Amino acid sequence: MSIKRSLLSVPLRISTLAMVLFLMIGAQAFAAHPDVSDSEEAIAAGKTLFNANCKTCHKLDQKYTGPALRGVTERRTIDWAKNFIKNSSALIASGDAQAVAIYKEFNNLAMPSHTFLSDTDLENLLSYIEYGDKGSSDAEASAGEGSEASSGGSGVPSEYLTIIISVMVVVLLLILIVLGLIISVLTKYLNNQNLDEDEKEFINQKFDFGKILKSDAFVIIVTALVIALVAKTAIDGLYSVGIQQGYAPKQPIAFSHQLHAGQYEIECQYCHTGVELGKSANIPSANICMNCHTHIQNVEGKDGISPEIQKIYNAVENNEPIEWVRIHNLPDLAYFNHAQHVAVGGIDCQTCHGQIQEMEVVHQHSSLTMGWCIDCHRQTNINTAGNEYYDKLVQLHSDSKNALKVKDIGGLECAKCHY
Amino acid sequence: MKLIRSIYVIATAGVALGFASCSASGDHPGYEYAPQMYNSVAYEPLTQIVNEDEGKWVSTREDEKGEFFNSNINNPHRMNMREPVANTVPRTKDGLLPYRLKAFELEKAAELENPVELTDEVLEDGRLLFLQYCKACHGINGEGDGLAGEVIGGVANLKGGAYVDLPEGHIFHVIMKGKGRMGAHGTQIPQERIWKIVHYVKQEIQKQ
Repeated sequence: MSIKRSLLSVPLRISTLAMVLFLMIGAQAFAAHPDVSDSEEAIAAGKTLFNANCKTCHKLDQKYTGPALRGVTERRTIDWAKNFIKNSSALIASGDAQAVAIYKEFNNLAMPSHTFLSDTDLENLLSYIEYGDKGSSDAEASAGEGSEASSGGSGVPSEYLTIIISVMVVVLLLILIVLGLIISVLTKYLNNQNLDEDEKEFINQKFDFGKILKSDAFVIIVTALVIALVAKTAIDGLYSVGIQQGYAPKQPIAFSHQLHAGQYEIECQYCHTGVELGKSANIPSANICMNCHTHIQNVEGKDGISPEIQKIYNAVENNEPIEWVRIHNLPDLAYFNHAQHVAVGGIDCQTCHGQIQEMEVVHQHSSLTMGWCIDCHRQTNINTAGNEYYDKLVQLHSDSKNALKVKDIGGLECAKCHY
Repeated sequence: MKLIRSIYVIATAGVALGFASCSASGDHPGYEYAPQMYNSVAYEPLTQIVNEDEGKWVSTREDEKGEFFNSNINNPHRMNMREPVANTVPRTKDGLLPYRLKAFELEKAAELENPVELTDEVLEDGRLLFLQYCKACHGINGEGDGLAGEVIGGVANLKGGAYVDLPEGHIFHVIMKGKGRMGAHGTQIPQERIWKIVHYVKQEIQKQ
């Protein structure tokens, strides 16, 4: 009966039809135990319980962290299912063959006990497991399609720009041709008039490139331009010595900040654990990678183990360091402390490191020169609110018209960074 | 005359281009004016030069290695960074001793009490720490719906019935040593900060 309903209520689409076919097969495979209620209230109550307690590990029709649940009352007795939900570890410890088998199948991962669920709760839960959300995966799929379709259509302006520019080039070429034609027509017309020799010479004179190239003015202008250009490149080159801005070395593992910090919104501090505690932000050791990559072995659901992730496993297995290439190399003559800037100053990582969450390969965003440091120290206000450490300073500074900046509390003193 | 001038121009252009290649890009870190002042003589934990010939042209070392080579040849893999000496205890400001319970001693851990006094400031710290260390998997509200958690699968919904009544020591132990699919976070988060997270989870996320 649920098949009929879904046919009527869901708009007819190819994917829907495919889903319905799938469901028919599914419905044949799993016949629920007759004692499990299919009333709407029971299913709704069960759904609430399922979402609060089960959904992070179980899906109804798909194997996830735990087994797919639909049809459990056909495969097992209702009492067994209730006992397993309530306290699976006790059931496994008692040596129940089916419980032990499933425990082993899912890597000896124990399900937490749910002794707080009453008998009615368990029955509602089983109702939802057997009868709930039969078309849900279909709904999710079409929702996914919709959001993908709506997220296009912002690339128009650049196309327009190209069209406008090419049209303008064509127009300019046409004007050039027309002007050339006008000149030749005028020359012909003037040659047919009665003119003296001087005027004829003026009309028929040829444009002499060679003469211009050899003229003193031209040579001086070109030489001056070349010298200026060479001097500018040389000076720029000299200034770039000792500055590693734009340095983007290839790393031993093709780690993408765009994927981790951008797409999955993992906070910087999760891996760079030292950033609020000490001088260095720290490069995470492999055990921090393994918190997630024990389970995530490939990108976006591909099969097998990704060769890049395999490198982490090798490092852990052989107890070898991963030799990341350091990008931000402050000279040994300067001292910098992350905690001072991040925990005390409250500066975002992106202020100095750029939009890291958008970088596939990290490059050095800022110049990290002394001028760059000093510039920020001159401009940045101190947040003194609610910090009695600054009370006296604020009082002393109250005569000044300008706000209290980092430079006013020693941000320009040599020995703060050079010692 | 003219030939000489064009030679000068080309030479200057060549020098200029040479300087232009001093700047960093891709795999090339660029050059320094006085590399002796850039490279540390002492062993640095996070910057170590493994190439023995680095800076050989200015080397004054007796072992005839490059001036800038600063890896510790006495350590495995020539690493400068070492783990603390076994059975030693770091001196910390708050005086918390290292956590000695093993991963399986969950029941013993459940009896632990939170040594951090509960204040508004601690709760705010806990909230920020929760966002840094827990949100990726457990979600902003702790409902097991973090973006990374959905890929990993099997992330606990901290508001679920199986978790709301857990004692603080249990939560601390699980963060410290891991449980089920969750990895151990004891190396990442200092004990005091974990206890702050525990306060936040108990007071805000699991408040009933």
